Amino acid sequence: MARLDYYFRETAAGLRRNGTVAFAAMSTAFIALFLFGLALLIAREFDLVIEAWTGNVQVAVYLDDPPSDDTVGRLTETLQQLPAVSDVSYEDKTAACARFNELFRNQPSITENVECEEVIPASLRVNLADASQYEQIPAALGCAPNDAGEVECSAPGVRAVADYRELLDRLVAITRVLSIGVLSIAVIMLGSAIALVANTLRMGMFARRKEIGIMRLVGATNWRIRVPFLIEGFIEAFLGAVAAVFALFLVKVVFIDRLRGEIEFIPLIRNSDVIAVAPWILIAAVVVAVIAGTIGMRRFLDV
Amino acid sequence: MISLQHVSKTYKNGVTALAGVDLEIQKGEFVFVVGPSGSGKSTLIRLLLKEEEATDGDVYVAGKALDKITPWKVPHLRRNIGTVFQDYKLLQDKTAFENVSFALEVIGKPKHVIDQRVPEILDYVGLGDKLNAYPDELSGGEQQRVSIARACVNRPLVLLADEPTGNLDPNTSVDIMRLLDKVNKIGTTVVMATHDQAIVDAMRKRVVELDQGKVVRDQSRGVYS
Repeated sequence: MARLDYYFRETAAGLRRNGTVAFAAMSTAFIALFLFGLALLIAREFDLVIEAWTGNVQVAVYLDDPPSDDTVGRLTETLQQLPAVSDVSYEDKTAACARFNELFRNQPSITENVECEEVIPASLRVNLADASQYEQIPAALGCAPNDAGEVECSAPGVRAVADYRELLDRLVAITRVLSIGVLSIAVIMLGSAIALVANTLRMGMFARRKEIGIMRLVGATNWRIRVPFLIEGFIEAFLGAVAAVFALFLVKVVFIDRLRGEIEFIPLIRNSDVIAVAPWILIAAVVVAVIAGTIGMRRFLDV
Repeated sequence: MISLQHVSKTYKNGVTALAGVDLEIQKGEFVFVVGPSGSGKSTLIRLLLKEEEATDGDVYVAGKALDKITPWKVPHLRRNIGTVFQDYKLLQDKTAFENVSFALEVIGKPKHVIDQRVPEILDYVGLGDKLNAYPDELSGGEQQRVSIARACVNRPLVLLADEPTGNLDPNTSVDIMRLLDKVNKIGTTVVMATHDQAIVDAMRKRVVELDQGKVVRDQSRGVYS
C-alpha cells in the first residue's frame, strides 16, 4: 500500500511540476488518437454505404416476385457453371428486409416510408472470380439493354441484373484513399505524440536529476525510479485517448446526426460504431506510452 | 570488508586514475585516503559504489566481487554503503526529516520503520530539535549532519565519505569528525577521502596515501604526510 501511495504521489508531483509540457504531450496524443479513430470511423462509414448500395457483391440478379424454389435452384446452377463466377448466394425477401432495416435502424424516416416487403425483391448475389468477364452473366440470362436503357432479361423469373462492379470499385477506392490518408496523418501525429511524451519524461527526469542521483546512491532500484515517470506517460496518453473518444462522439453528434433524415439511402454510423473504435484508440494510447517510456528512459538511468 | 586486488582504472579518455592498487580494509576500521587532487581518491570511492567498473583487478565489498554483481543487484549493494559528500547533496525542498526519510522511502521501507528510525538517527547526529528545518535554515555543519544521518539511517556496513569537511570551518570539521568517529565506534567501517591535514593529524587513524593512482603509503595511526 505504501508503495502505491508513493508512486501516486510522485506521479502527481511530476505532472504538476511539468504542467505545460505534459499538456502539450497530452494534446498531441489527443489529436493523433482522434485522427486514428476518425480513419477507423471513415472506413466503417464506407463499409456501411457499400453494404447498403451493393450488398458487398459485384453483381445482383433480382428475381421476379415471388420467386419459386425452382427458379432459384435453376438460376443458381446456371450462374455457378459460368467460369467468371466464384460464388452465388440467395437472399430472400425477409433477409433483404432485415438487412435494410438494420442498416437504416437509426433513420426511421427511411424505414417507415419504405414498404420493404413490397419494394425490395429477392435476389441472387454473385461474386466474380474474374470481374472482366462480367458479360457472361447477362448473356447467360438473356439480358440486354432496351431502348430506354433499362436492362430486360429473357430468362424466366429474372427481373433484372445489376452490375455493381464499378460502384463497388469506386467506393472501395474512396474508402481506401480517405482512410489511408487520414491514417497516415494519424501515424505521423502518433510519432510526434511519442516524441513529446518521451520528451516530457526526460524533462521530468532532468528536473529531478538531483533526486534521482540520491535515489541511486541510497540503493533505490531502477524500477522504483522509473515507475512514476512511466505512470506519468501512461496518464498523458490515456487522457489523450479519453479526449479523443469524446471528440469522436462529438463529431458524430454534431455532424453525422444532423444528416439523419436529410440524405436518403445512406446508412450512417451509430454510437455503437464509435464505441467499437474506443478499444483500438486505447490500444494505440498504450503503444504510445510504452514506446515513449522506452525512449524516454533509455540511457538516462544506466547504473 | 573491503578488498582491492591489483585494481586499475583507465577512463575512456585515456586518463589512468588507479594503477595496480592493493588494499585491504577490515570490518570496523577507520581509514583516511589522502593524496593530491587527481591522485585517484574519488575514483576509488566510485569503484566501491560500482558507479565505475575497474578496468583491471578485483574489488570486493562486504564479501561480494563487484564485477560479478548484475546491474539490477547494484541497488542492493548500495543499501549496505552509506555515502557522504562535500556538498551534502540534500534536497532543498525537503526538511531534515524528509531528506532522511526519503532514503528509506525509496528503498521501500514501511512507514512505521521510517517514523521510528528517522527521529532516532537525527537525534543521534545531534539534530533532534531540527527535524522540520529546511537545508537553507541549517548551517553547513548541520547540513552535513543531516547527510550523515541519511547515510547511516539504513545501518550500512560501510560509510564512504568524500571530503566531508571540505566546505566546513576547522571547528565544525572537528565536530563532524567526532560524529564520524562515533559512527565508526558502533561498528561501521569508515573510509574517508580528504585533503584536510589538520584532521588527519589529529585523529591518528590508518592513512592510505595515493599518488598518481598508486598506494605510496599505508600507515596505521598515521599522519597526513
